[in-house]
Amino acid sequence: MTGALFRRWLKLDANHRFLLLTAPVVMFLLAFFVVPLLSILIVSLWRTESYQLIIDWNLDNYAAVLTEPSYRTFMLRSLTSALIVSVVCVALAWPIAYFVIRYGGRYKLLLVLGLAVPFLTGIVLRVIALQGVLGPIGLLNLGLMQLGLQPVQSLMFTKTATVVGLIYLFLPFVTTAIYLSLLNFDFKLLDAAKVFGAGNIRAFWEVTWPLNWVGTVIGFALTFVPCLAESVTPRFLGGADGTLYGMAMGSQFSATGTWALGAAMGVVLFVVAGLTLFAISRLVDIKRSGFTGAGSRD
Amino acid sequence: MSKTLHKTLLGCITLLAFVFLYVPIVHITLASFSKDIVWPYPIRFTTAAYAKLFEGTIYHDALWNSLLLGLGTALLSTTLATLAVLSVLKYRSRWKGLVLFLFVAPLFVADVLLGISTLILNGLFLEIPGNLLSAILANTVRAFTYALLIIATQLYRYNWKLDDAAMVFGAGPVRTFLEITLPGIWPALLGAFIVTFILSFNNLDISFYTLGAVPTMPSVAWGSLRFGIKPELYAIAALVNGAVLLCLLAMFILMKSGRVGFGYKAGRDD
Repeated sequence: MTGALFRRWLKLDANHRFLLLTAPVVMFLLAFFVVPLLSILIVSLWRTESYQLIIDWNLDNYAAVLTEPSYRTFMLRSLTSALIVSVVCVALAWPIAYFVIRYGGRYKLLLVLGLAVPFLTGIVLRVIALQGVLGPIGLLNLGLMQLGLQPVQSLMFTKTATVVGLIYLFLPFVTTAIYLSLLNFDFKLLDAAKVFGAGNIRAFWEVTWPLNWVGTVIGFALTFVPCLAESVTPRFLGGADGTLYGMAMGSQFSATGTWALGAAMGVVLFVVAGLTLFAISRLVDIKRSGFTGAGSRD
Repeated sequence: MSKTLHKTLLGCITLLAFVFLYVPIVHITLASFSKDIVWPYPIRFTTAAYAKLFEGTIYHDALWNSLLLGLGTALLSTTLATLAVLSVLKYRSRWKGLVLFLFVAPLFVADVLLGISTLILNGLFLEIPGNLLSAILANTVRAFTYALLIIATQLYRYNWKLDDAAMVFGAGPVRTFLEITLPGIWPALLGAFIVTFILSFNNLDISFYTLGAVPTMPSVAWGSLRFGIKPELYAIAALVNGAVLLCLLAMFILMKSGRVGFGYKAGRDD
């Protein structure tokens, strides 16, 4: 029976094989990703009145999201903090991933798994624990006082605390992405560049960095998108004027019950995240990144 | 810059990052043994939290549901992602651009949005109450992208000539996959499985909107916040971390003695 199937498979061209193999995945994503998103789009064009959705096609929700000054502030605040967090994470993740790859020796896997262990503790608990670490009589300040130093007074409930918390949550993602990219990088290329007279820094910027650019952008995106919508961290670390867009959006579905407005906020968030990542991915030069798949193999 | 200086500098950054990542975990463990868990220092030792943990059934249910959610999501998303990556990298098609766009699209959608959109579809249009299955499916959408990226970065430079060679020598596609492709790519699949398991096990944003009344570990943690965090939750976290760190320690000992390499081969991977 497999023989007959195999013969039929051989008769198909690459295009049909591709469509046949990807069909289950495409179907899954259509049913559980695209259809829910379409339903959010529909609801965003409706209206909510005293906790009831009313079918009344209009664009008022979008007008509210785009013109209301507070939403604009939240969005700008979220964008800046997400950008800061992603850039800092990439800058920190590179040396870590590089160290593990070059000097990790037989313990590479162990070191990478070590990065993932904190994830086994849920986000709520870890953010609360960060309060206990950064707070006025937390671990950090107690440690500083033990050393005879001045405690840091105003670390909690600031935008800095939110950014530190977000870096804490997302550093392992970026490190793993860059590590996986470096794992497939042939360091002989670096030696070759040096043989031909490139210095350490030049060899890094002209060989290692461009060839691991895809992994870096992926790590960046894995941080940027969730940070943009993050609602737990600012709630516990950010204080009174630390409200971010994700928090404001979440409350439309719980506290205020204005689902239609929340749905419109969601659509705006989707568009902003997509546009930012599109702008960044334009910087990728696919030919310089050493792609070998899809028929370009020779 | 000399090689030792380079190594020391990178090593220091790595060490600091690990300290940064583990300080809250240490805090949770210390606090779980303390009478006051909010400001536990100096520690007044007690094991009350652990005693209570073995009485309460809500935590057993939550842990069990989280495990089911994590395993279901990891299995489903790794399978789908493997299929997706293999077909995208192997075959040319004029539909590839569009299909690839659909595969990567969940990356642009935040967890909260996935959860809310599933809630709107299920609750408003289909009138299905929250349940574990829809939470698994919604989590799989998110986990699929992570699995896709992990597997894709590993297979990006995979040598497809090996597969062609196997086919030339008469192996069918299934046999080629099992005997040539799979042995080459299993670390990527295992990595994707572990990462998607951990992420969905503790997912709050998606699960919050799709689970309804089914308790999981993060939703119990979230729910208990209203009355202040429960010491039992710290105790569970400390136990889970302890167990995993013991596993890593066992791995370390096996690796140090050179008995098991876990994929490492001296000379090849140095």
